[in-house]
Amino acid sequence: MSADNAAVNPTRISREKIDVLPTLRDLALVSILGWALQLIATELTPWEALGGMAGLYALCAGGLFLARFVPFYLPSVAWISLLGIAATLPFTPWDQAVLNLVAEIDFLALSVPCLAYAGLAVSRREIDVVKKSGWKLLLVAVFVLAGTYLGSAVIADVVLRITG
Amino acid sequence: MRTVRSAVSMWRLHVAVLVIVIAAQFIGVQQIPLGTGAILLLPLLYAFLLGVLLNPNVISRASAIIRQREVQAASPIIVIAIMPFIAKFGTTIGPAIEEIIEAGPALLLQELGNLGTVALAFPIAVWLLKMGRESIGATFSVAREPNIAIVADRYGLKSPEGTGVMGVYVVGTLFGTLIFAVMASLLASLDVFQPEALAMACGVGSGSMMASCTGALSESLPEMGDTILALAGASNLLTYATGMYISLFVALPLVERLYNKARPDAAVAGKDG
Repeated sequence: MSADNAAVNPTRISREKIDVLPTLRDLALVSILGWALQLIATELTPWEALGGMAGLYALCAGGLFLARFVPFYLPSVAWISLLGIAATLPFTPWDQAVLNLVAEIDFLALSVPCLAYAGLAVSRREIDVVKKSGWKLLLVAVFVLAGTYLGSAVIADVVLRITG
Repeated sequence: MRTVRSAVSMWRLHVAVLVIVIAAQFIGVQQIPLGTGAILLLPLLYAFLLGVLLNPNVISRASAIIRQREVQAASPIIVIAIMPFIAKFGTTIGPAIEEIIEAGPALLLQELGNLGTVALAFPIAVWLLKMGRESIGATFSVAREPNIAIVADRYGLKSPEGTGVMGVYVVGTLFGTLIFAVMASLLASLDVFQPEALAMACGVGSGSMMASCTGALSESLPEMGDTILALAGASNLLTYATGMYISLFVALPLVERLYNKARPDAAVAGKDG
């Protein structure tokens, strides 16, 4: 979620340079945090929660490897998403096994560590940007974000009503 | 071994996060009634707020616990920390694949909802707030990383357009989760849109925006939980694939044109650098 890559290499979206080992390590750290949160958020036993987090960890690790080594570019989160789909398609022999592991994992609790890191990562530069941009840009930004959401919701709603 | 040691040296960061997330999770989902609707406050919002309050760049006394090196180390972990969440989303799409394919046309077309930023925010920037070329960078997209790259390529980040896109990027990073949670819970409680449409719209921004948006939606409409996750996840995946092209080939030229129409005397500057 850093703009640095974009700023350094503006002419094209640069391929992520993934350091596999440190990434897998940090992924393990956030998975441990996620495991602790599952114990608070769900009725899962510690072992069930561990199985669920391990399953998700495997999908993430697989996605990282694909992003790193497949010869064309897709962001690692897109690979992870695609692997998650491939692991749970109903006509595959393995979908029930995967779902048994991860189905009861609470997705909302999974998102909490990310935002804690994001809050701690706010840099002086970002605060300067907000101060310098002033209230006008702040106001416009609110309308941009709200407008995107509203725009998509309106189009989706109309198309759904037409196509039934 | 070195990988392990460098993680241990960042123990302050990870312990701070551990304390924050457990506190946030224990506070749980809270509801603020607002007219006929309601706004939902979610654990991820408290986690962000608590993180900001421990950030030495915001509260200088926090530097006793969190120093600049922890702040710098936190940044690359953000995208890693969202990965298990994205994986979980993928596993909700698979079982619902038939539903997704049925909703295909709506899913594809709502990607054009990005243009909602142009319809809503551009007039406000140009006519109401009388902003200059900043409005081009600010309103052509939802200002995530690929959009910054487009602006950097075309105008440079030091240009007015660059200031516009960076401003919205930072505001989105700071307040995006809150805005998406508010929009989703308000619109869900107003009962005007179909829940499926609101779910698809959750996927148009970053991963954490989707997290708060789907969180708010599925708390408001618990019986639709699985469908909401599947549709939002599919929409988010499409956004990775198409979002950049829509903003590059449709939205940016459109905003350029509108701006030149709105400010004919300013049209000389900035064209294609």
